This record gives sequence, C-alpha cells and structure tokens, in this order.
Amino acid sequence: MTARALELRNIRKRFGSTEVIRGVNLVVDECERHAVIGPNGAGKSTLFNLVSGLIKPDVGSIALNGNDITGMPPWLINRRGLSRSFQVTNIFHRMSVWENVRAAVLWSAGERYAFWRDADKAREVGTGIDRILADFDLSNRRDAPAGILTYAEQRALEIAITVAGGANVILLDEPTAGMSRAETDRAVTLVRRISEGRTLMIVEHDMSVVFGLADRISVLVYGEIVASGTPTEIRNNPKVQEAYLGEETH
Amino acid sequence: MTGAPSMRGALMQPVARIFGTSRGAWAALAALFVILPLMFRSGTALTMMSLMGISIVFALSYNMLLGQAGLLSFGHAVYFGLGAYFSVHCMNAVIRADLPLPLPVIPLAGGFGGLGFAIVFGWVSTKRSGTAFAMISLGLGELVGSSVLILRSFFGGEEGVTTDRTRLPRLFGVSFGQQIEVYYLIAAWCLLCMFLIYRFTRTPLGRMCNAVRDNAERVQFVGYNPQVVRFFAFCVSGFFAGIAGGLAAIHFEIANSGYFSATQSGNVLLATFIGGSGFFFGPVIGAVLVSYLQVMLSDVTEIWQLYFGLLFVVMVMFAPQGIAGLLMMHRPLWSTGGLPKVAAAYAIALAPALVMLTGAAFIIEMTYHLAVKAADGPNMTFFTVPLAADHLSAWLSGGTLIAGGFILFRLTWPVVAAAWASAQSHKEQPL
Repeated sequence: MTARALELRNIRKRFGSTEVIRGVNLVVDECERHAVIGPNGAGKSTLFNLVSGLIKPDVGSIALNGNDITGMPPWLINRRGLSRSFQVTNIFHRMSVWENVRAAVLWSAGERYAFWRDADKAREVGTGIDRILADFDLSNRRDAPAGILTYAEQRALEIAITVAGGANVILLDEPTAGMSRAETDRAVTLVRRISEGRTLMIVEHDMSVVFGLADRISVLVYGEIVASGTPTEIRNNPKVQEAYLGEETH
Repeated sequence: MTGAPSMRGALMQPVARIFGTSRGAWAALAALFVILPLMFRSGTALTMMSLMGISIVFALSYNMLLGQAGLLSFGHAVYFGLGAYFSVHCMNAVIRADLPLPLPVIPLAGGFGGLGFAIVFGWVSTKRSGTAFAMISLGLGELVGSSVLILRSFFGGEEGVTTDRTRLPRLFGVSFGQQIEVYYLIAAWCLLCMFLIYRFTRTPLGRMCNAVRDNAERVQFVGYNPQVVRFFAFCVSGFFAGIAGGLAAIHFEIANSGYFSATQSGNVLLATFIGGSGFFFGPVIGAVLVSYLQVMLSDVTEIWQLYFGLLFVVMVMFAPQGIAGLLMMHRPLWSTGGLPKVAAAYAIALAPALVMLTGAAFIIEMTYHLAVKAADGPNMTFFTVPLAADHLSAWLSGGTLIAGGFILFRLTWPVVAAAWASAQSHKEQPL
C-alpha cells in the first residue's frame, strides 16, 4: 500500500447559516496527481483553504504525510511540506520576479528570521532561484517588478513561488484560469513536469486538462464528494454525469 | 535584455550599486562626515549638522517600519524619547557611581531602552497591520506621552531630567565639552547605524519585511508568520530609534516631555515621506532637508510649520515617491546624457514657479499679519520690503503674482515634456 500524502476525514465547514463543506472524506496518495472537479460554488476553493490552513474546519481532521495538521496556521503547514497556489494571482507586486522566488525559498533554505546574515550570500540559494526561473520561462524577466508582468507571466510566477520551496505536496487552484488554449497547453506541460515525484492536488475547470493530467479525480458537489476514482471510472459514473458532466454539456 | 540590471528590484537594489557593492562609497561617506565641519565652521552649522545626524538615524529607523515592512506608525517618538531618558539616567548613574563607562557607548543604553519597550509595545501592536496598527501606535504614543507628567521619578515631570556629558570618564582625553567633539560622536554613530540599517535590508528578515509589506497573506504560505516578521522589524526599529534618542540626549544634555510629542512622531513621518520611503537613502535626504528647513525657515518666518505642511501636501499629491523617487526617475537620463536638456527645461519652469510661490507666501504672510498681529497695525515687511497689509494694492499684487506665475508656469509644461521626450529618444538611439 502506498503512503498517504493527504487524508481528510469528515471535514465540515460552515459560513454563517450555510454549510459549505459537508463531511468530506478524501485520500490523496503519495506522488499521485489528484484533481478536484465540481460545479461553481461546490466548495473546491474552500476545501483548498481548509487543507492549506487559511481557514480551520469546524469538524474533522486533516493529516499531511501521516501527521495531523488540523487547525495549524498556514506557515506551519507549509514548513511540513505543503504549498499552494491561488486562483487569483497572489504575488509580491513591488518586488522583482527574482525577489518573489527568493521570498519563497528563504525558509526552506534554513534562513528563518535571521537578521545577521546577508540573504544573498548563500550561493546555492541563488542558483536554485535561477533554475526555477529558467524552468518557468521567467529568466528574462528576473529583474522586472512582478506587478508589471503579463497575466500569463504572473500565473507562471504564482506557480513558481508555490513550488520553489521544495514542498512535496502541491495544491494548485485553477492554474490555467483565464489562459488561452496555447498558454493552457504550456501550463499543463509545466504542471506535469513540476509534479514529477511530488503529490499534486489540483482544482481545474478545463476538463481536457483534468482528464489529461490526473491519475485520480474527485467530484465535489455542494460540499460533498459524490465520486472518486480514475478518469475512466469518473467518466462512466452515472452519478457524476447527472450531477456535473451532463450539466456541462448542455 | 537591455536595461535589465537597472530594473533589478523596485526598492533597495539601486542603492546596492551606489553603496553596497563598493566599500569605497561608505569610505567616501565617512570622509564627507569628517570634512563637513571643516567646511562649515560656525556654531550654528555644527549644531545643525549634529541634529541632522540624529534625524538621519531616527528617520532610517522609522523607515524600517514604513518603507520596508509597510507599517505606518504615529508614535515612533516613544522609542526615541525612551532612548533619550535611558541614556540620561545611564549618564547620571555613571557620574554618581563613578562607573568606567565613557560617553561614546551611552547611545547603546538608549538603544536597549528603545528595544525593551519595542518588545513590549510591539508584542501588542504588530498583531495587527494597516489602520489598526496605526491607531494602536497613536494610542501608545499618547499613553507614554502622558506618563511623562505622571511618573515623575523617572521622567522628571515638566522640567525633565538633565545631565552633564563632560563629567563622564574620558576616552583619549576627550571631554565632549565642545560641540565639534559631540558632532564627531554623532557622526560616527550615524555612520555606524546607516551601515547596520542598510545591512539589515539585505538580511533574510529584512527581505521578508518587504514581502510582508507587499502581501502578508502570501507570506504565510511560504513558511513565514507575518506577525513575527513585523514584530522583529518593530524591535530592530525601536533599537535604532533609541540610539537616535540617546544621541539627542547627549547633544541637548536633557530629556523631557518634548521628545515624546506628537510633533516629534509627525516630523519623522514627514521627513521619511518627503525623502522617499521606497528607497534606502530617501529618509536620509528627508532628515537632512527637514532639519535644515526647521532651523532656516524658523529664522525667516514665524509660521514656518505652515509652509512645511504645504510642502508635505504637495509631495504627497505630486511626488508620492519622495525626493529620492524624483532623483531615481532621472537616473536613466544621467547614463544616457539626456540630463542637461531636462535640467535646462526645469530651469525655465522654475522661474514662473518661484513667482507663483512668492505670491502665495505674500498672501499667507499678510493674512497671518492681519489675523494674528492686528495689534501691531497693518504695516509689515515681506522679504525686507515694507508694505501695508490692509491695502488693496498689496493684495492685488499678491494675486497677480500667483495668477501670472501660474499661467506662465503652465506654459512651460510642454517645454519640460518636450525635453523629456527628446532625452528619452536620445536614450533609444544607441539601441
């Protein structure tokens, strides 16, 4: 049996009188590419916010690599090896592209809150950042303030920041949102490459991306997982077709 | 890619090339500090340069919060004032107990005093950022400011606590009885603090301060607790503010309630902002300029604070990046040789602008004279010109200067724009 990277047990979350997540159980195996799909408002982003620590579940537990992380703040979860991207680009606008990626690697490089060392002296940190920029086609923009990048470049930087720290569990929230077909294809290639040897959990609306990329798919409808399985199983699941895929084809 | 190195980083990198990459630049700054009193020998100049040194340290400490960590504080004078009190008490203790502590190390007492209280107050206030942080800082400023008159044993009430810097043990036979000796002490500390604060901007914590300023939410997802980053930045800032306070205590040989005043907190904010909070050397420019204006303007006019306020408003509206931002805007022109063209256009625009400002100052001074000094009668002087403030002709000429100056000034805008355009095209030729 393969090890479990993420395990969600009976997660519930209520905002006011609405229960947005209604008893979610979900297991993501190590090195698996797991897609979460579902109609708008199903609670996909809320699920990500719960797993990454931005909000805390009312009920239930979350385990990362077998350790309980329920109720931990985001930075502690991140230090335990989970990193996420955001649906709406969430970068450091006034800092350069290079500085953005540096901010993402300082903790994992062991720099912590040091105020007596030069952050730029560690050569291996610098070469690591340069390699990530090359991976994401951002090398020629390394000194530009992140705020002036094009949309696609900002999306690439968003994911670069997410993976730069070397986390082994990566959560990507709609990485291809708002991209053209060509940009999406490039992004999918990129996501496939960066998730090599890591666990990936991805929220995505583009079904060709989902079925091309994912090893397993979970379908979230109104805060509940209605089905979970391989792409073939999901495609043939009548419940899914009724609740979600059928609706899409109208 | 051309021009890429000059774009590197929005903030600190330009300075890196001016200062950080070459030890020579720091040596040049040190040499400047050494020779300045040889160029300006008068007592007034020495005092002013000493005050500038103190202000530079204070403003740089403030900018660790405002520019680096994005924290707007209305109560930074708290740490400046506590630094001054700790230094004065330390000096008096040294004198009383005959301790072997020479004067040059006294600012450290101020630094640790500032740090200690920054730890306590920072613990409370850095839990929040933005408006909440600003409000808490204002409240703490009021709290400490009012304690001065309540906790008399420490703060000395209205008259404050005095000391005598010449009675401390001497180092190399220097008594610090003369202002020139105090100047060099302040200059040495100023240089050391500038260097340390500059180095701080380059440390992991300093870099993460910028990240917290830009996007505190995302910082949480790269392994950092933004509250801890803010707290540490606040402590380091309080330490340097305390050192500045200690230097001020040595300079004035007194600590009193004035150190804690809201004006003090306001001035450091104005100096930092006018200088340019987005650049390391911005607060340095701002501190020097504001110290200069405070001394010089107060000689020229009684309502200098009004002009000072107007300058601040103009900067906020038209140059939010501050003087440093304006200078950096012209940096590309410097390297391409387009600068003289632009400078010539500025000179043309300056003349009508000065006419307009003279008219405005004229009206302001007449209003002030009539409103506040009515008992003295309507006769006054404006820049040595005697006039009657209640005469229509005086008001008409003031109005004419403003209107005429503005119209002419407006006409020079296309000239400046054209100079910029041509300087830019100048820049593109070598590509």
